[in-house]
Amino acid sequence: MVGTGVRARAGSALYNEVVDWMDVEAELLDDYREREWLEGMVSRDVVYQVPLRQTVERARGTGFVPGTFHLDESYGSLQSRVARNETAYAWAEDPPSRIRHFVTNVKVTDLGGEQAGVRSNLLIYRTRQEQTQPQLLSGERRDVLRREDGVLRLLRREVLLDLTVIGTHNLSIFF
Amino acid sequence: MARSEQLLDDLAEGVARGEVPVGIFGDQEIYDRELRSIFGRCWVYLAHESEIEAKGDYVLRKIGEDNFIVVRDEQGEIHVLFDACRHRGVQVCRSDSGNTSHFRCPYHGWTYNTKGDLVGAPLWRNAFGGMPKEGNGLSKVARVRSYHGLVFATLDPTAPELEEYLGGMAWYLDLLFGLNEHGIEIIGAPQRFVIDANWKSGSDNFSGDDYHLGTLHRSVWEIGAFPVPFRENMMGYHIQASPGHSLSFSMAPTEDEPGPKFFGFPDDVAATFDTSRISEHQLDIARRSRVMVANVFPNFSILALPMTEDGAHHPPTGVMTIRTWQPHGVGQVEIWNWFCVYKNMTPEQKDRAYRAGLGTFSMGGAFEMDDTEPWITVSRTGRSVAADLLDFKLNYQMGMPGVGIAKEVPDWPGPGIAYWTRYEEGVQRNLYRFYADMMRAEPGSWPKLTFE
Repeated sequence: MVGTGVRARAGSALYNEVVDWMDVEAELLDDYREREWLEGMVSRDVVYQVPLRQTVERARGTGFVPGTFHLDESYGSLQSRVARNETAYAWAEDPPSRIRHFVTNVKVTDLGGEQAGVRSNLLIYRTRQEQTQPQLLSGERRDVLRREDGVLRLLRREVLLDLTVIGTHNLSIFF
Repeated sequence: MARSEQLLDDLAEGVARGEVPVGIFGDQEIYDRELRSIFGRCWVYLAHESEIEAKGDYVLRKIGEDNFIVVRDEQGEIHVLFDACRHRGVQVCRSDSGNTSHFRCPYHGWTYNTKGDLVGAPLWRNAFGGMPKEGNGLSKVARVRSYHGLVFATLDPTAPELEEYLGGMAWYLDLLFGLNEHGIEIIGAPQRFVIDANWKSGSDNFSGDDYHLGTLHRSVWEIGAFPVPFRENMMGYHIQASPGHSLSFSMAPTEDEPGPKFFGFPDDVAATFDTSRISEHQLDIARRSRVMVANVFPNFSILALPMTEDGAHHPPTGVMTIRTWQPHGVGQVEIWNWFCVYKNMTPEQKDRAYRAGLGTFSMGGAFEMDDTEPWITVSRTGRSVAADLLDFKLNYQMGMPGVGIAKEVPDWPGPGIAYWTRYEEGVQRNLYRFYADMMRAEPGSWPKLTFE
């Protein structure tokens, strides 16, 4: 998806707007303001996927298994996840783990039609309770943002994790 | 006396009173013994045949902590090969799955076919001329058997046949996997994740811990993911199918209950369920069941129930997951999670079931993400010195005589010991009784596999 349009160079208006958008998104997610993120930054048409990966020989590519996911979310299921975390019984995140999103290597492509393709590297640094060793999740995000009523919203997110065996106790978090 | 011996004696003696020493969830010596006495001997689930349908298809799986290649050879036969070259012990299978005609060791090039036979090595005549290839193939498990396409293997040549090992549990596997002529298939590849818990917490939970739903999983009702209210869902049967193997059905007290039938699978799929392979009793139990949750000793669990990942837009539908709780050191478990569908479901139905499963019983699912939370601290308590010094025992008394409302069912039509209402922990006591027997059995001898 990214690469078929025109690369928006660092410093251009679109690039700056997207980087700012990504910083705001990370802040909302780190601050547990998930509903604000969902309602303010995510499109109703969103497709949000974390595909499952296997170890395979180099000749067979990156090992992502077609049609198989850790998460495969629509707006409705994201809404359900946000609502769950808001109940008094979401033990997995109460007390919440501390999550920090580090977003780097942002590349923006103007796809036309009010859409921007964004590739970024993501490092999630997660600690819980008295843990001193963090749980780390790293990967690449491939996003499409669409301008809806003047505001950029997340239309497509694919999170390509580096791990085949996931080393965190659950995926109650958002990437 | 070794600590593990003491813990096992305490377990064997205490389980009848509903007492389990917590040290079995955290003691290193116990864990080391489990790898040999449980995983080195029992029939262990590895794969479903639908994952390796074509000749040359393989998947890399585990018995205990060891890797085994599960591969279909050129004649269509399934072999389970120890992933270690006979020359220097190097891993020969370097992908989690694939299709191949041979496995070649990256160190010196010893090459094996899909039966595990050694077929050559570079400059064979110079290096090994005169040495027979026979006897130098990959090591094989003692025996491999399939049941409804579920591939099991054992490392113990003295193990009973798989059907004898499954005992009464076979009847209940028939009831789910033999409902129609098509059977099930796996969607995609297994999800794998590691958590800081002991493997037995998974087996314990899936043996029939329904009572935890009301507290730990209360959020799923608040978001409408599961259609049967907690109190109603406690109605049903707890069954000790045979020593070690336990399961549980959620079932309404009356047959004309309007709720989900056949675990919530769509009506047109349920219309293909019949008595060609199973009895009228088995079909009737499946029809009336809203939930089936089961554990095949030691670490293979099965769950079928109606769920949705998005209650506002999609009604609950039948979801089936199978999983293994792979030991990964005393304080870690690697969870392998597969989603299954009946082969004759439409692509849309399969997709719906997959999404509903993923949104509820996976590491990002509304149900499962809470499950791992308490298991982490069970294992911490299991390692605790205080627990040892304070003679801390876990309470598994629910449903024992005088405790709660569960009653043994005298006229249960299936094998094993059944209780009505699921306020009952005999299913777990059955797990730990057999566990203690296996752990203490002498090599070559087997505990009783029936209750008689």
